[in-house]
Amino acid sequence: MCITSSRQLKQVRKEFLDGDARFEKKVMICCGTGCLANGAQEIVDEFDSILRKKRIKGFTIEAVRSTGCHGFCEQGPLVIIEPRGTFYTKVKVKDVADIIEKSIRSDEVIDKHLYTDPATKQKIERYPDVAFFSHQQRIALRNLGKIAPHNIKDYIANGGYQSLAKVLTTMTPDDVITEVSKSGLRGRGGGGFSAGRKWRSCADVESDTHYVICNGDEGDPGAFMDRSIMEGDPHSVLEGLAIAAYAVGAKEGFVYVRDEYPLAVVHMQKAIEDCRKEGLLGENIFETNFCFDVHIARGAGAFVCGESSALMKSVAGEVGEPRAKYVRSVVKGLHDQPTVLNNVETFANIPIIFEKGADWYAGIGTKKSTGTKVFSLVGKVRNTGLIEVPMGITLRQIIFDIGGGIIDDRPFKAVQTGGPSGGCLPESKLDLPVDFDSLTENGSMMGSGGMIVMDDRTCMVDVAKYFTDFLVKESCGKCVPCREGLYQLHKLLVKISEGRGEESDIDRMEQLSEVIVNASLCGLGQSGPNPLLSTLKYFRDEYTAHIRDKRCPAGVCRELITYNITDECTGCMACISACAYHAITGQKKKVHVIDQEKCTKCGACVAACRFNTIDVR
Amino acid sequence: MNYRFVVKPELCIGCRTCELACSFAHSVNGKPGRSRIYPLGTGHKELWVPVVCLQCEDPACARSCLVDAITRNPETGAMDLDAERCVRCMACVAACPFGCSLHDANHQMVVKCDLCGGDPVCAHFCPTKALVLEPIVQQKKKKSA
Amino acid sequence: MVTLTINGKLVRAREGEMLLDAIRREGIEIPATCQHEAVEPYGACRLCTVEITKADWGGWKNHVTSCLYPVQEGLIVSTHSEDVIRIRKTILDLFLARCPNAELIQNMAAEYGITRTSYEEVPDGNDCILCGLCTRVCDKMGFQAISTVGRGHGKEVAPPLGEAPPDCVGCLACAQICPTNYIKFTDDGTTRTIWGREFELVKCETTGQPTITKEFAAYLVKHRNIPEDYFTRCDSAHREELAKTMGRITHWGRQEEA
Ligand SMILES: Cc1cc2nc3c(=O)[nH]c(=O)nc-3n(C[C@H](O)[C@H](O)[C@H](O)COP(=O)(O)O)c2cc1C
Ligand code: SF4
Ligand code: SF4
Ligand code: FES
Repeated sequence: MCITSSRQLKQVRKEFLDGDARFEKKVMICCGTGCLANGAQEIVDEFDSILRKKRIKGFTIEAVRSTGCHGFCEQGPLVIIEPRGTFYTKVKVKDVADIIEKSIRSDEVIDKHLYTDPATKQKIERYPDVAFFSHQQRIALRNLGKIAPHNIKDYIANGGYQSLAKVLTTMTPDDVITEVSKSGLRGRGGGGFSAGRKWRSCADVESDTHYVICNGDEGDPGAFMDRSIMEGDPHSVLEGLAIAAYAVGAKEGFVYVRDEYPLAVVHMQKAIEDCRKEGLLGENIFETNFCFDVHIARGAGAFVCGESSALMKSVAGEVGEPRAKYVRSVVKGLHDQPTVLNNVETFANIPIIFEKGADWYAGIGTKKSTGTKVFSLVGKVRNTGLIEVPMGITLRQIIFDIGGGIIDDRPFKAVQTGGPSGGCLPESKLDLPVDFDSLTENGSMMGSGGMIVMDDRTCMVDVAKYFTDFLVKESCGKCVPCREGLYQLHKLLVKISEGRGEESDIDRMEQLSEVIVNASLCGLGQSGPNPLLSTLKYFRDEYTAHIRDKRCPAGVCRELITYNITDECTGCMACISACAYHAITGQKKKVHVIDQEKCTKCGACVAACRFNTIDVR
Repeated sequence: MNYRFVVKPELCIGCRTCELACSFAHSVNGKPGRSRIYPLGTGHKELWVPVVCLQCEDPACARSCLVDAITRNPETGAMDLDAERCVRCMACVAACPFGCSLHDANHQMVVKCDLCGGDPVCAHFCPTKALVLEPIVQQKKKKSA
Repeated sequence: MVTLTINGKLVRAREGEMLLDAIRREGIEIPATCQHEAVEPYGACRLCTVEITKADWGGWKNHVTSCLYPVQEGLIVSTHSEDVIRIRKTILDLFLARCPNAELIQNMAAEYGITRTSYEEVPDGNDCILCGLCTRVCDKMGFQAISTVGRGHGKEVAPPLGEAPPDCVGCLACAQICPTNYIKFTDDGTTRTIWGREFELVKCETTGQPTITKEFAAYLVKHRNIPEDYFTRCDSAHREELAKTMGRITHWGRQEEA
């Protein structure tokens, strides 16, 4: 069958919804990578095997949907029962029979599977009431957790491909670009460049061939927003890509997927094949002159391959090394043809802009950073996961309202945003509105949306060292300031963290950073010193403590700390057996002692001590 | 007016002045370069041939050069070897059927005759005019002015 | 033609030409280690960085690598501004930490007043400056026998899988182009070894002189349409042969005259 009009889309939608109306209840089982790792597939299988044996009125296996990621992975596997929205967390295979019996055959809520709010200790039944979700505004993630990603009809039933139909049949490419510009949408992959402007520059280049590429490389450690979208809602990315292709005059597009994301590849591939079958990709889409096809390009597994020129080389089958962009890739990109490259999330925003209008979109967020942004919130916050919030929300709202505050109520110290080459912001910046410009002005950046929360036990020298080390390893190694400069920067940080630092080292690092920023070829090197510079800016005294006092205030840097047992020791001897190096001696009910010569500062004793009497400083 | 570099073996006396002139004309940093021209005996008594690049029409040297360092100079008609571009793989030295792409071991360069940019020095020094630069007389049909 | 200013002097340059060419034509020396005429500009060493601005940029300046920045009308270039010198010095300093024994780097650093690196020397340093000239020339020649492997600080030049490269023909272009003579090879007049591979040299049928490797000759025959028998003699034998042929023709002519 081929869908050739908006009317037919509506027909598909109606059939699908009519089919769904048979069910009194529906079950959404999160099958994002996080929940799958915790056994979500086995839960789906268990539903299947029970429902094969048992018939339930108004409910069959077809009402059980494997959806994309809800973002709240740490509570997974998640099971949601519609229409009430009953939200079960950490569900196990053995719970399935009980859930079917109580919550599906009748309307009982099983308390023990409910989510407990860490702040109020209250059980919460419906997922929209969970603080983690209630403060979010889901636009790019609108379908995640709601639809079965491998079913194109489910996407269509939720309004999918209507925007493409509208664009192709009622708008000129020029109108499309104007609309995107009006929405104020800025690229979500890092730079925050206006999507409309990028499309316009590309469309303006005269050439027989234009390309559109979706950047799904997502090399930032700990980030999984693009992965979740590609896995959980691949069609919205494809629809966005097709609209971009129409706008710039491309006949071919690529989705570049990081090699570590096999599920994203499978779902994307299935979505592409389904679109081809339904005529939503291929020749004369919606009976217009528009022809467009999409291919998947697998990433080379390097962070730097996310950089636009490196990515295009990688798509063309060459070594993924950046090239100098004195001629921009919108003019000379893939195979030297004009190319639009946007991030996954950028494309996922496109269909809804055409569904609800550019003005609607521009009304969300701030004036210069419109819309929402997806973040992966991790670190020392109570609720970690994938969140989407309107631009302009403060860091405090994200960390304390959605994130539920710091684990164990410890003091907040810093939040790192923008991925490995982003920066750290201190407590004084908690009320900073989160948007592209304010983050950059304050020494950090939006990046692609990593957000790592740190508490008082985090050493900022150690943080800078960690990220610089990551960048040293991920630098493509082509240009000298980045390859050798970051390496030396890391060496200096190691020196300081080991207590060998000299006063002059800070100046040296600053001077070297300036050259790396100014002389590197690509964004990786140019932003590489950020972790160092931002921590120096806000936590300079911590550096001085390491250098002058040979002390690590957070108690992290091994060479600068000692473990001591305080007088409160109960003499339980637990630590003695925990220490693999036999560094602890003592008798029952007497205060134990650590032999500093033998201690390797591994921390095993601290973990073993139930009375918190081991002092690290 | 166009000129053509003409070699007349029958006039060559094998004095090797051209070789010297060429070598000095192609000095690098004051050190003489390898001569691009070789007056050689023919096996016949008192018959010498100044062997020099023939600036072939479809030269093997240029075909064999994988970095396009040998190209025709539109002004002189010579096949010029761009030393900056040459990577010294010796392909042209091996490929030239007349042995006129040469390795200059002193300067670690590959060299060949470039007609001295249009005015071959050897021609100036040849005592017997075995090497001459002759104007090409265009064989046009006469037309009243 | 475009007109631009280099260190205060008005100069003219060809459209599409790179800044570095225009700078060098003015007799101004700036280091550029990853640039070579045989290959496309690459922008890796960053030593050729210069400062650019334009009258209407409102005082804004930018640093670009001149080897791959095309000349532009009205560009104002400084090749030795304070910032540029600092960048160059830092890069040379960094280079020295990795390649303390590379003569090329030592000389360039000395010109900028650096004799020893101020950084920690890299423990496994060597003379390779990772300019990529060898791999690029190998690509350009169509062999693609070697490439850079790994990334970041551990990047190095190597044949695929670290084994003797099957596509190598032993032309030595990589070793010849290497600015620090890092690529080692041996050649005893009969066999040549490079990248762990042995190649037999073609020998002149007349003089016994070795020329290029058999593999290289075969490549040129196959892909460049050079007749196989061109490779049977060395250059000097070719010349001798030419002289004899011409002599025969001329001599024969004389006899006729007589
Ligand atoms: C080192 C480096 C890594 C990058 N990694 C990514 C990435 O993983 N995903 C991404 O979308 N953009 C990444 N970018 C940004 C891209 O170069 C490019 O700006 C972006 O994909 C454009 O899309 P947008 O305008 O929609 O943001 C990276 C940039 C640099 C310099
Ligand atoms: S800045 Fe770093 S990642 Fe970018 S080209 Fe240079 S070495 Fe490669
Ligand atoms: S081996 Fe030589 S040519 Fe190749 S990258 Fe290293 S320094 Fe450059
Ligand atoms: S010569 Fe320009 S960057 Fe190396």
